[in-house]
Amino acid sequence: MIARMNDLNSLLGAMDLFRNRMNTMFNEFDRGIGWTAVETYPRTNLCDTGDNLEVVAELPGLAKEDLNVKIQGNYLEISGTRKPSIPEGYKVHRIERETAAFSRSFTLPYEVDANQAVATLKDGLLRMTLPKSEAAKPKQININ
Amino acid sequence: MNENTALVTRNEQAGELVNQLPLTTPAVDIFENENEILLHADMPGVVKEDISVNIDNGKMTLSGISRLHATGASTWREFTDTEFRRIFSVPQSIDINKVHAELKDGVLSLHLPKSEAAKPRQIEIKAG
Repeated sequence: MIARMNDLNSLLGAMDLFRNRMNTMFNEFDRGIGWTAVETYPRTNLCDTGDNLEVVAELPGLAKEDLNVKIQGNYLEISGTRKPSIPEGYKVHRIERETAAFSRSFTLPYEVDANQAVATLKDGLLRMTLPKSEAAKPKQININ
Repeated sequence: MNENTALVTRNEQAGELVNQLPLTTPAVDIFENENEILLHADMPGVVKEDISVNIDNGKMTLSGISRLHATGASTWREFTDTEFRRIFSVPQSIDINKVHAELKDGVLSLHLPKSEAAKPRQIEIKAG
């Protein structure tokens, strides 16, 4: 009887393993790995908060001097260079972090007011708050 | 940044929030010189309070949680709140008590100093 319980346990263990694998796969989909092309760097999120568009980009290890952001109407371009950070006098074992020039451009869903745009770079995230131009802002309509 | 957070991490892992987060493998660079092994890991969006480094039985677990605090309606989304986690084998020649780390611009730099016994040494030959 005990032997059978062990068999059952190992079967359940295998099922758990399978479930975990499936979960990881779904999570990767969630993070966009399954959907986006390989060369989309940096990864970005775009949120609409009514008056503003908020863009967040993952840019770890970049200083603000290495980054360029251009806005024109509803066109947004983020470009920059990630410099190789091999410290002096060290032997290299493994390099996985990309070091290359990159450029990514977007067509925003609305025209934005470039003069009022605010961008901050903190903890490896570039956050931009882009106010929609007056014509694109939501308006309350009175019903007579 | 405190390496000795085994208790704290256990508590967090018991909570539901951590278990719901998707896991991401951070990209790392590993360098070595005579005195230490140096590891750089990309962890965008992670603050110092959300990082833990545990060394136990020759295994080092790096974990950092990124919270984006997103508001508004999402138009597109290519990354979410996530836990960056990666496990490394640590050679015995590392002096675990002297491991230290910094976090800057979403990059974790982890210094793993070698113990005195493991450092290369020039042996002098005496004239007999």
